[in-house]
Amino acid sequence: MSLVRRSLLYYWRTNLAVVLGVATAVAVLSGALLVGDSVRASLRDLVLSRLGKTQAVVSSAQFFREQLADEVPGAAPLIVMQGVVTHEKGGLRASKVAVYGVDERFFQFNNYSQRPPSGSEGLLTPALARELGAKSGDSILLRVEKPSAIPRESLQGRKEDSGRTLRLTATGNAPEFALQASQGDVSAIYVPLRRLQLDLVQTSRVNTLLLSSPAFPKDKVTLDDLGIKIRALPNGLSVETASAVMSDALVATVEQAAGAGAQPIFSYLANSIRIGDREVPYSIVAAIGTDLMPDGISLDEWAATDLHAKPGDTVTLDYYYWEPSGSLATRTAKFKLAKILPMTGIAVDRDLTPEYPGITEAQTIGDWDPPFPVDLKKVRPRDEEYWKKYKAAPKAFVSLETGQKLWGSRFGKVTSMRVEGSDAAAFSQKLRALIDPQTIGMAIVEPRAQALKQASGSTDFGEYFTYFSFFLVVSALLLTGLFFQLGIGQRLREIGTLRAVGFPAAKIRRLFVAEGFVLSIAGVLAGSIGAIAYAAFLLYGLRTWWRGAVGTGLLTLHLSADSLMGGGIAGVLIALACVLATLRSLKGSSPRVLLAGNRAVEENPKRGTRWLRIVAALAIISALALVGAAFTHSIPDAGAFFGAGTLLLIGAIFFEWARLRGQIGTVTSVVKLGVRNASYRPGRSVLVIALISSAVFLVVALDAFRRAPVAASDPRSGTGGFPFAAESELPIFWDLNTPAGRDNLNLGAIKDARFYAFRLRPGEDASCLNLYEPRTPRILGASRAFTALRRFSFVPYSIETFGDPSWESIDTDPQEGAIPAIADANSITYVLHHKVGDVFDAGGVKVKLVAALDDSIFQSELIVSERNFTRAFPDEQGFRYFLIEGPPSIAASLDDALSDYGFDVISTPERLAAYHRVENTYLSTFQALGGLGLLLGTLGLGAVLLRNVMERRKELALLRAVGYRPDHLRTMVIAENVYLLIAGTLIGAVSAMVAILPAFLQRGGHLPNPSLALLLLAVPVAGIAASLIAVKLVARAPLLETLRAE
Amino acid sequence: MPELLEARNLSKSYATPKGGPLAILNGVSLSLASGASVSIIGPSGTGKSTLLYILGALEPPTSGEVILDGRNPFTLSDAEVSAFRNREVGFVFQDHCLLPQCTVLENVLIPTMVGKDNGDVRQRARQLLDQVGLSHRLDHRPSELSGGEKQRVSIARAMIRAPKLLLCDEPTGNLDRHTATQVADLLLEMNRASKTILVVVTHSAELAGRFPKVFELVEGQLEAR
Repeated sequence: MSLVRRSLLYYWRTNLAVVLGVATAVAVLSGALLVGDSVRASLRDLVLSRLGKTQAVVSSAQFFREQLADEVPGAAPLIVMQGVVTHEKGGLRASKVAVYGVDERFFQFNNYSQRPPSGSEGLLTPALARELGAKSGDSILLRVEKPSAIPRESLQGRKEDSGRTLRLTATGNAPEFALQASQGDVSAIYVPLRRLQLDLVQTSRVNTLLLSSPAFPKDKVTLDDLGIKIRALPNGLSVETASAVMSDALVATVEQAAGAGAQPIFSYLANSIRIGDREVPYSIVAAIGTDLMPDGISLDEWAATDLHAKPGDTVTLDYYYWEPSGSLATRTAKFKLAKILPMTGIAVDRDLTPEYPGITEAQTIGDWDPPFPVDLKKVRPRDEEYWKKYKAAPKAFVSLETGQKLWGSRFGKVTSMRVEGSDAAAFSQKLRALIDPQTIGMAIVEPRAQALKQASGSTDFGEYFTYFSFFLVVSALLLTGLFFQLGIGQRLREIGTLRAVGFPAAKIRRLFVAEGFVLSIAGVLAGSIGAIAYAAFLLYGLRTWWRGAVGTGLLTLHLSADSLMGGGIAGVLIALACVLATLRSLKGSSPRVLLAGNRAVEENPKRGTRWLRIVAALAIISALALVGAAFTHSIPDAGAFFGAGTLLLIGAIFFEWARLRGQIGTVTSVVKLGVRNASYRPGRSVLVIALISSAVFLVVALDAFRRAPVAASDPRSGTGGFPFAAESELPIFWDLNTPAGRDNLNLGAIKDARFYAFRLRPGEDASCLNLYEPRTPRILGASRAFTALRRFSFVPYSIETFGDPSWESIDTDPQEGAIPAIADANSITYVLHHKVGDVFDAGGVKVKLVAALDDSIFQSELIVSERNFTRAFPDEQGFRYFLIEGPPSIAASLDDALSDYGFDVISTPERLAAYHRVENTYLSTFQALGGLGLLLGTLGLGAVLLRNVMERRKELALLRAVGYRPDHLRTMVIAENVYLLIAGTLIGAVSAMVAILPAFLQRGGHLPNPSLALLLLAVPVAGIAASLIAVKLVARAPLLETLRAE
Repeated sequence: MPELLEARNLSKSYATPKGGPLAILNGVSLSLASGASVSIIGPSGTGKSTLLYILGALEPPTSGEVILDGRNPFTLSDAEVSAFRNREVGFVFQDHCLLPQCTVLENVLIPTMVGKDNGDVRQRARQLLDQVGLSHRLDHRPSELSGGEKQRVSIARAMIRAPKLLLCDEPTGNLDRHTATQVADLLLEMNRASKTILVVVTHSAELAGRFPKVFELVEGQLEAR
């Protein structure tokens, strides 16, 4: 050990270089892992801090009693919505703003020090204030969707006036509360709870409870909270809902509670009941379980008299039906008159019709204010008389099955249920006991647990930066190996002496391994400190230069012992591998050779060149074959050329290796002699060439993946040929392509535009803009009109397994409960971490990926068919996402005309460019770190030269003896260096240019970005600087001493 | 015949870590005419190689001067000394010092790649290699040659610029007896043919004995034998 210690101290300069090499490799490796840990930990901290004290969240589309919060310990009530905020004076608009209706309970719950908003105050988060350019005291307009218990996409639902605008006074310093994980700034507004309740006509009702404990006592939830009411009628009990329609699940539960005595009813409004030319306008028709013929109808006596009807007559019903595509249609159904019912019992039972705001409470038909057109001219005095006497009692009856077939929708097929009995309280209790609130629209989630999963499954920056830093690590290890070899080279005589005095080779190896181990440990210790600095540097980069890739400035350094240990152990192992490889290279050297300060030189360097040339030829032929295949379109251009470029790189390196083992040119000058020196140690030179060319190849070829702007007009491109996409904060129910739809939305002036509307289940962004793993991704429902266009392009890899990818593949029914879905290939791979064919839970719904879109504007969402969408998400109503064909002027017109809906039109090339910016930023990061590795590799080149020169001191001395001046030697060393640099750079750059040829041509012959040229220029500059250092050291060495025979 | 090489009162001493300077040469003088050939013998450490390096302008003396063909190289600039050595002096070392990455022919041509008036050096190199019996090995690498062949290449390399002075430092030190004899024959033949002054430093009494004049370096002084 004493020998090891003395050697370590004596050769401290070389050892220091080895330690620095190991330290650099460890710093880069551990640093990359630390970045991964830091990003994960930062995301975790961020989401947890934004959740405040929230342990669980109870939410419901149906507003429930605010009082529920008082009944649940540690609960705070609030209204959570999404809205559009406009600066009244400045006109700037922010959409997708989180809107919180809160009072002091919310602030106390979260221990926020801020004062709750009061009066007409709107508390803005800093990000929102910035976006709006708003300051305290400014007037702002908040537009939110007005909740409607009745489904808006049903006949009785109101399609217009779906929003509510609140004029508020901006105040600042709002807390950064968020229930959804997102690394971006929080854009939120806090509004006084009372004010919001008033405006939304939801007095004392809320839609969210925050809980300080994950346990939620579901038994506190009443039927009223679930929108269910039970009325005691003279002839039994009526079970109804606030939505005027009952879900299948609720119907089944009521049947379970009531036993055989439950009678489902489906009431609907007929525009007219006709027999021949006589008609009764605007009548309720009830579908009940009667003994009517399947195609029969019964009229009450009043209607039968009015129509002069007799059994067997053909009765025609005209009724409105809201088409799912967004238009009001008039449909007709014909029946045989089965019975005429006397004006008693069900014929006069007005409670068969649920409450329809604007209709059932009206005193006269003339007072109706329905959400559909009514021709009051058709209403006769006798109709008003009927209304006065019987109100909404049905005039006609059909079988339940018939009614459900005619008028049923995804919202339900029953409007109320009749139950035998008279004790409403007892039945309510019984029914409530059977209902799980979570099956009737109430959601209870534990956001912390979900957030932790999302943060841990987020984009793995550790992995990315390990890849990005690959060349840095390789270069650092190359340097480590070279410096260690340099150290060994200095000590060849010492090794020879030890061998001569009887040290076995194994013992000497152990001594050097022990030295190497000590140096590795020292390198690891220094590298661990460097890792922290490197990670801090990279995180700084992510917060600043590469912010485009992460979209947040909130990433901070988090130290992790695991990462430091992992990088350290890898560093020690790799460093020891370098040491062993170096010692192995001495194996063929005899003690005599070593004593002379030499090592064995390969007797016949030309040996093996044939095989190298064969490998080179095979690689180049394969490259040409790939290019040929690309021209015949047998394989995709991008893959073929990238493969060809890689093979060309391999071929060129092997060819150069063979050349170096042979003879390069004829030596007729000092420069040529320098070039010839590259073949002194062919393996060493080819290593340098391989490192430089590979780094140059990767750095340049990566540019092929840099996304170029996409033309909006190409239907096969990522824009699908749609120049605009739009998202609406409030759902739009009308078909924008019909004159009626445009009239209803005041879009009469919009010409030459075609809209493709999508339904939207809001959720987390599934694109690279979101660092968290999306558990509930956004889902779009695409209409057949859209899928039939067959726009966009698919990634073709799934053909063999999944058939030809097409839009039609989502138009099939769910298989084993999984809805077929399409997503963008980038999102599938890098964000969702899935592949085509995978089945996974997309937030309460199982989906199966059936095809992957190639670089499209659909990177933030999954796409399913509209049919499957409405089945899976019956509560998501209207259309909120649009692709638009039209002239450029349409964007501003639509923004303006539909501002009440928070309609935001963006250009599709810009949307795509936003995704591309992230990808391009990743590429820039890779290129920057690859470039750093390249520069470090260039320094390695300097070390190679120095080592070559030190080994060849005798030759250099001879040259001095025969008349060579120091500048001749300098020229020679630089010539060798420049040769290696040029060979490496040229091989790498030419191969890379072949690889990126399709991308190069696609972007119109533009060269990769200018920073690349700078980088490629920096490499020779650094290389020449390194060789000048080598030359300087040579000049200082006492060369002539090596010539002496004495 | 006028003296071509004049070494006058050459002294060389080195500083030592402790004590005063260590004198290696102490007033050595030597005059040699064109075509002269001498050997210098002496025990190890007496300064034979040092004297040779001073004569070849590789190392300056502490005092004294060397005049070769009327020029004192130690009064020249570094670049001029290099050019002087390139033009006027040829060296043969014990370790042949061939460049392993160059062929036999290229090794011989190495000195011609610097300096002027090279003429048809390739032709001359071929002639020299023919003279040393290696015309069939022009494109071989040093690693493919025997020890004697390597030394013959180094002799050809030393003669490529037709120097006035050929200095050999233990040229047969690494060779077996038979090969050593062949190399000595070659050196003497070159000396006769080219009228180059030949100075050989050696331990070998047998080699030294083949030269018309033999000097021994004793305590820093050159004594004729």
